[in-house]
Amino acid sequence: MAEALHFLRRNPLAAVGAAMLSAILLAVLVGPWLSPSPISIDMTRKLVPPGLAQPLGTDFFGRDVLARVLHGGRATLAIGIGVVTLAFLAGTAFGIVAGFLGGWVDLVMMRVVDALLSLPSLVLAIALAAALGPSLQNAMLAVAIALAPQFARLARAQALSISVLPYVEAATATGSTMMSILWRHILPNGIGPLLVQASLAVGSAILQTASLGFLGLGAQPPAPEWGADVSGNLQYLRETPWAALAPGAAILLTVLSFNLIGDALGDWFNPRRRRME
Amino acid sequence: MKLGKRQAAALLALAALPAQAQAQSAREIRQRTLVIGVPAGPANLEPGTNRAEPIGSEIILNVFDTLVAWSPPAFSQLEGRLAAAWTVSADGRVFDFTLRPNVKFHDGTSCDAAAVKFSLERTKSINPFMRASFDPIESITVTGPLMLRITLKETMPVFLSLLAQPQAAIVSPTAARLHGDAFSVNPVGTGPFRFRSYRPDTDVVLEANPDYFRGAPQLARILYRVIPDASTRRLELESGGLDIVHQSGQLAAIPTQDVRALRANPQIEVIEVPSQIIRQLEFNNSRGDSPVADIRVRRAILAAIDYDGLIEGIFGGTAERVYGPLTSNNWAFDPRMRDLAPKHDPALARRLLAEAGVQPGQLKLTLYSFQGPLWGAVATFVQANLAAVGIEAQVAQTEFPALRALHVAGRHEVMLDGRQPWYNDPDAHITIGYLSTLADTAMTFRMPKDDALDALITRAQTNVDFEQRRQLYHQVQAQIMERAPAAFLFSPKLIVFRRRGVQGLVVNSAPPLNEYWGVSKS
Amino acid sequence: MGRYVLQRLAALAPVLLLVLVIVFSLSRLIPGDPATTLLGPGATETQIAALRAQLRLDEPAHWQLLAYLGGVLQGDLGRSLKTGAPVLNEILLRLPATLELTIAATLVAVVIGVPVGVLSAVGPNSALDHAVRLVSLAGVSMPAFLLAVLLQLVFGIHLGLLPISGRSSPFFLDDPITGFMVLDGLISGDLELAGDALRHLLLPTAVLAAFLAATLARFVRNAMLDVMTEDYVRTARSKGLPERAVVFVHALRNALLPAVTILGLKFAELLGGAILTETVFAWPGVGRYMFDAISNRDYPVVQGATLVFALLFMLVSLGVDLMHGVLDPRVRRRMG
Repeated sequence: MAEALHFLRRNPLAAVGAAMLSAILLAVLVGPWLSPSPISIDMTRKLVPPGLAQPLGTDFFGRDVLARVLHGGRATLAIGIGVVTLAFLAGTAFGIVAGFLGGWVDLVMMRVVDALLSLPSLVLAIALAAALGPSLQNAMLAVAIALAPQFARLARAQALSISVLPYVEAATATGSTMMSILWRHILPNGIGPLLVQASLAVGSAILQTASLGFLGLGAQPPAPEWGADVSGNLQYLRETPWAALAPGAAILLTVLSFNLIGDALGDWFNPRRRRME
Repeated sequence: MKLGKRQAAALLALAALPAQAQAQSAREIRQRTLVIGVPAGPANLEPGTNRAEPIGSEIILNVFDTLVAWSPPAFSQLEGRLAAAWTVSADGRVFDFTLRPNVKFHDGTSCDAAAVKFSLERTKSINPFMRASFDPIESITVTGPLMLRITLKETMPVFLSLLAQPQAAIVSPTAARLHGDAFSVNPVGTGPFRFRSYRPDTDVVLEANPDYFRGAPQLARILYRVIPDASTRRLELESGGLDIVHQSGQLAAIPTQDVRALRANPQIEVIEVPSQIIRQLEFNNSRGDSPVADIRVRRAILAAIDYDGLIEGIFGGTAERVYGPLTSNNWAFDPRMRDLAPKHDPALARRLLAEAGVQPGQLKLTLYSFQGPLWGAVATFVQANLAAVGIEAQVAQTEFPALRALHVAGRHEVMLDGRQPWYNDPDAHITIGYLSTLADTAMTFRMPKDDALDALITRAQTNVDFEQRRQLYHQVQAQIMERAPAAFLFSPKLIVFRRRGVQGLVVNSAPPLNEYWGVSKS
Repeated sequence: MGRYVLQRLAALAPVLLLVLVIVFSLSRLIPGDPATTLLGPGATETQIAALRAQLRLDEPAHWQLLAYLGGVLQGDLGRSLKTGAPVLNEILLRLPATLELTIAATLVAVVIGVPVGVLSAVGPNSALDHAVRLVSLAGVSMPAFLLAVLLQLVFGIHLGLLPISGRSSPFFLDDPITGFMVLDGLISGDLELAGDALRHLLLPTAVLAAFLAATLARFVRNAMLDVMTEDYVRTARSKGLPERAVVFVHALRNALLPAVTILGLKFAELLGGAILTETVFAWPGVGRYMFDAISNRDYPVVQGATLVFALLFMLVSLGVDLMHGVLDPRVRRRMG
């Protein structure tokens, strides 16, 4: 813990990222309790500019934009974290098994991963979302499947390099089961880069889900979700930009904070870079 | 030979002349080119393969001619195009056409009765979309070099309207045989414009046909630019990159803000024309176990909707209220519909629900609709209206093929739906929508089996007397309203944005396509 | 090296096959059929059935797959359900547009990203380093569609400097030679066309390059930092080599390896990710074509375009691995 604080102090960017993320989390968790309803319509107050009553103005239906951003944040964060968790678990499991077992198991599994990787991820996500039906859950599933291969690749590389280390070979020789080796040795030692990848992937997941929302394949109206709100209000960008720019800025800041943290974690887990003064 | 400076200059000037002349004529052509912004490219450019997709259909309308066409500017009467005159038999089954003489296709061949017969039969055999229109044809006979007889299997007064569809246009048999499959991207017709080039996803260029039988068009060229994004189209219009933004571009999203902004722009004019498109909240009328099977529940929903709020608040005047199964600009519209149509009355809605034994919050519905911002906005508004009377509706915007599959299988309870008629006749809305025998064949109102109503609709469709037809359709409308099959919501106007200087543009409503023969630029 | 290349090319086939099967199944899983989409909301069941028969959609799935595979082996990717044109031709028509965009974006990203990354690495934890890291992270955090629209507004309208859609002004009816408009203009001596095409290329390239440059800068920075703490670099320094030589000759050269790898991966991502950019800027490329095809359930086009993308991705991967061989003698030895 003390090391972590020391690290944050020496890495202003990571500190900024952590601060931003904490602020966003606070706003998103507490804010909705204090704000007006994000779905109550008031056609007499359409597209009102930011003011005292509505700090970020109103959108096309007279709904409070700030309320929508705060409520939408819950959905968006749930998406980002949920998607990455799914992709992480599935991909890492896949990759570790492949890397450890080697041989033709490795060969087949990695060919599948290659095949998935060579499909442009947005196209894969679009096709999956279309196949499963347009809803937030399905969009999340689609993005998770699109992101999992990267984790698989990385996990496999980690498993490969660790499983040839002497202590693992010793463990095998003394008869430890594959499961216990994976769990006790390979996972804890290889987890570093995977965690970095995960925190960077949150940003990517949020962006891809926003893109799906932009293309109409994500959250259904009137549910507030940042990507869908940007696309829904984009046509008013010229005259009344705040309705689209507010959720857009929210996406930017949230993804940025995850990326700052992830980038810093990258330095943290890399002993050579951690030593940098 | 050594060139002195002056001689060199003179030679250069001479050499530059043709280039200059070229540049000048290029400039002239540019000034007389109409640039149209469209949201998507055409799928096919000829009647045999085009399946009622808007851009391709409009190109067909300008490159080809039909036998008859709607007269501008009202588009309520049919006039002869390739047909100079025609007669209809007393029983309405035999049509005799006399064709205009001396009409030539763009490839120089003659447009005669044989060509028309070839064309119609070709389209009938290869175009599945035209099956409904051309199946009733029993035979087409050439009775003279310029005389044609079309015999139908049964009486169909609407047949002439069907012949005005772009897919019924006449193609050059020589060119069709010559190009085969490639005719689809090398269309040859008789129309005021010739096809020049097509770059997929980018543009289509048409150039004037100086030998057109109605007179050469005033434009030199037409250039369709494919720009999928609406705000980009608007930006291009404002900066002069486009002369016209086609009406099909304004149908997917609510154009209110654009209309307001562009009206304020002195360079740009906004043309608004009422369409015959109808959008409604329809019930699955053939599902007995559905909560909306009770007519009181349906009438409650009808009363829950704030119709004026929708038209004013959401559409800001870019759509009109629809009072019944036909739009108010249709010749068969019954003015009594305005009074018969439901009014926004939430108290009445709650009362009716209570009468039907439905508690507030008890009724949960899935509100299906098409995708896109316009439908999203309407769905959101309707959902709020329903919530105000205690009905919980969950919006499910669905991709079209999935939505259609759901609809035809009858798995929905309520759905936001609509129809854009492709020809100007009440038959286009009524027959396919409300005939109970056709309930499962398309996205219809799924009316329950009702022989009496079916018979009335069929009589209205096949009666040859215009005034009698009108009266029959009035009866049809009243009977339909009694059954409360849907909440008729709005009819979006056809909106074209054009730069000042574009003159002579008239917009047809059914089908919503433009003919550019009479258009000029100043 | 030659044997290695052949081995890799041979390994391509099963992966491509797998890709094909995945895409085929996926597109068949998507509910709703092409005939429905093509005919639109007004269509009746009869019309749809007639079109399905015409498009031969009712044959059993495995036959369709086998027939398709057979065709692919002969270079026939089938015909578009929407237009009837051969898929391969349609893709080849649009591929130069996408390639032009991605290559331009890659060039710009390299020119901006690499030097910036190097500068950042040379002074780690300095103000410049922090600024660079912040900006590059912001670059990958911005939703592409928002950036595209904002750039259009600012440069296209408010400043009026750049065109906002298309590959060239509509009045230039060109005769494509390579399909790369800027090149075509230069080759045929039509400088006006080349300049016009270049101006149209700027904004969409900026959108794509922003993301890539940011990623590249970060990677180069991190890779160089890793390398610069290696023993051999310390040795070089202690040998008295000037810092610039240390940085460029040793550090950069070895940091290029992971940078090239990531570039290869991202290039392939760019190909697909250009979808949104191509839509906003009305750029007639393959990304947009594929998206339209998915919406229209135009299976042959989706399959064909995916195949082409996958093939390009794998060729780029192979190219990257070969570059590894060029840059790293240890790898070269292993390749034989």
